[in-house]
Amino acid sequence: MRRTLGIGACVFYFAFGSSARAEQGVDAQDLANLTIEQLARIQVRSASKTEEPLSSAPTALYVITNKDIVDSGVTSLPEALRLAPNLQVQRIDAAQYAISARGFNGLEAGNKVLAQIDGRTIYTPLASSVFWNLHSPLLEDIEQIEVISGPGGTLYGPNAVNGVINITTKDAEDTIGGLARVTAGALERTAGLRYGFPIGRSGAMRVYADWHDTQGFPAAPGRPEVDDDYRGWQGGFRSDFGNEGDHFTVQGDLFRTDADVLAGDNARGGNILARWNRALSSSSAVQVQAYYDDFRREFTDVVDSVKTVDGQGQVNIATGRHQIVAGGGIRTTRDLFVNNLNIFELVPDSRRLWVYNVFAQDRFSVAPTLDVVAGVKLEKSTFVGWQFLPNLRIAWQPNQRNLVWAAVSRAVRTPSRIDRQLEAPGFLDPAPDFTSEKLVALEAGYRGQPSRSTSLSISAFLNFYDDIRTTEFATDGTPPFQLKNGWKGRTYGIEAWATMQVTPIWRLWLGGSTLWKDFHLKAGHIDLIPFNSLGSDPKWQVRARSEFDLAPRLQLNLQARAVGKIDQAPELGSYVELGGKLAYRLTRQLELYLYGSNLLHHLHQESNNGAAQLPERSILLGTRVTF
Amino acid sequence: MRWGGQIVATLLGAAVLAAAFPSSAAVSDADVKAAFLPRFARYVTWPPLAAPSGSNPFVLCVVGDDPFAGGVDSAARTQSVDGRRIVVRHLDSVAGAGDCHIAYVAGNHGQSVGQMLAALRGKPVLTVTDSRNGGSRGIIHFTVVDGRVRFYIDEAEASLDKIAISSRLLALAIGVKQR
Repeated sequence: MRRTLGIGACVFYFAFGSSARAEQGVDAQDLANLTIEQLARIQVRSASKTEEPLSSAPTALYVITNKDIVDSGVTSLPEALRLAPNLQVQRIDAAQYAISARGFNGLEAGNKVLAQIDGRTIYTPLASSVFWNLHSPLLEDIEQIEVISGPGGTLYGPNAVNGVINITTKDAEDTIGGLARVTAGALERTAGLRYGFPIGRSGAMRVYADWHDTQGFPAAPGRPEVDDDYRGWQGGFRSDFGNEGDHFTVQGDLFRTDADVLAGDNARGGNILARWNRALSSSSAVQVQAYYDDFRREFTDVVDSVKTVDGQGQVNIATGRHQIVAGGGIRTTRDLFVNNLNIFELVPDSRRLWVYNVFAQDRFSVAPTLDVVAGVKLEKSTFVGWQFLPNLRIAWQPNQRNLVWAAVSRAVRTPSRIDRQLEAPGFLDPAPDFTSEKLVALEAGYRGQPSRSTSLSISAFLNFYDDIRTTEFATDGTPPFQLKNGWKGRTYGIEAWATMQVTPIWRLWLGGSTLWKDFHLKAGHIDLIPFNSLGSDPKWQVRARSEFDLAPRLQLNLQARAVGKIDQAPELGSYVELGGKLAYRLTRQLELYLYGSNLLHHLHQESNNGAAQLPERSILLGTRVTF
Repeated sequence: MRWGGQIVATLLGAAVLAAAFPSSAAVSDADVKAAFLPRFARYVTWPPLAAPSGSNPFVLCVVGDDPFAGGVDSAARTQSVDGRRIVVRHLDSVAGAGDCHIAYVAGNHGQSVGQMLAALRGKPVLTVTDSRNGGSRGIIHFTVVDGRVRFYIDEAEASLDKIAISSRLLALAIGVKQR
């Protein structure tokens, strides 16, 4: 396959490269003689991450930019998340993904990450996990994805235990005009359309639609074949009004996805969100936001529906050497869970849950180069009382190019509906005493730009967990079973990534993470399904990404990953895979590209879940036009 | 790991290919932005009390972390408007920026771009921001589109600050928020 790609690249180059080279460049000293119109037409070197200002956030933060997503060629949100070296992504089958940071990955175990799109939480209160394939915002309109590994600290909402995935879409002002994209291959087809237009004097709006149709994967030998085809669409709008000091956003989405595991399987829903930012003075600002989200999934004879109302507000004040943020939020969900497939049910089958939180944080400049961030969040849910979640961070920034930080924080995952109220008569008892899973995390890191063309981030963590879920006998030695809080233990590891502008036309990203887990059962506890609680995590993973401008209009992107062995039974060996995109820009408005994923193997396995299917090599052709 | 070697070989092969056909683009986006900044003075009219009087020069400020490494200073030396020179000042904070005609607002460790902009609102200063420094927007907001440095113009904000922007500059903007 590698050879085929190489030949393809050469053919592309010689067919189109020479005419593209007719565009002449200029030197910096020539700029003085140009008119302002000529300046606006000058082709500049592609911006690299290394030239961007260093974020002063004292956390293990990786930012996936819009350019990263578009240039990589990925066709879905979960595939885009593979670009973050501090996330572990397992494709369970064509439709389902498990995504986590710092361990606990798996369909059941992956319940310790907060994921949100434009401030709207997308994890389900049923199990605190995310149905990643049911979220398909138009990838071209994503502004950035912030990925924080480790506790989210004070400023993010509930469930930010092991990480935060914060997806933001572009301001409608930045998406004026049209965009259309079509991709087609044997295994997958997608189409996207967006049109943005100004409204009145100070507003803009875009409407979009995205469609996808994905073929199922084959099963592992001796494993059950799952009919994991799925297809669906998502559409919506975003409108933004006002200016920096007074900004109002209204946005909403609708989606429907159909699957084939059993006839009639589908998921559908919609949401609407409003957010208002206002500067009160030169040093203070307020933000309020509210949304409604309606979600319904019918899957293998299970009906799962959740209606969410969420409201939150915060105030930012800068005074002297203090930057203070304080706020609070309320979320309520009304769910319904009806299981016609097996004996497991939630009792009651419909319930309203509440989560409240208040928080305050102060970033205090102790000295010009030294900041201390102290924050606390108080959180209460229907199932557990007020939880005290403090965090303390130190950021030492001796100059603009270097940041050293350290943090200690406490985070909890409050019980989900399944933790407390899942039962099966005679087989599984409900767990009214199931309590929050707790984490105390110690972290330290460095982020900086050792040279003008290199950026580097290294972080180390030591996490102490307690009360992690176990599946045990309700009483001694015989069914029924019951969920309890029996695991205690620690994880530790290192995450590092670097970006290099090797030459003006070659950028390279390298990243990797390691994870050690050391858990033991507390006295009097057993776990019959450790797989479901501790997750199945590789000990290490490495990512490499390369972006070459082969010619002014021709770009080759390659993304390689190596993922270590999963020790948790059933064991799964390590694997290496490669994806890539070869893109030719015909005109400023029109791009043609060839995208391949999983190029090294016809089939490979990423998850040791019993129902895992094998991701296949996939090649597709795409075109994108703006108008 | 049999494929590891092949990936490295592929990357090296592509590197050789890349080195053999260097891109024609030699300037960075920061160079072009630095060249734009002093030129804006020609296409903007300040209210009479704020415009330079006598033989005084235009004042161009870089407020906060300077990404240009002297690029603005050398660009400003090559430009003049109606015989007036353009002098460049580098300011750590927004205090004192009220006297600037043009302020490239970059933010810094102590104060975000948004906070700096808020402090300059209502003053006759042509604020310029950069999408590299986040979403906060001044009257002119740089962004890179299709490998070219372009900008948005907030004419509504400019008119609140009593600043008039010529149609030639407005025509170059990729978006204008109108009065």
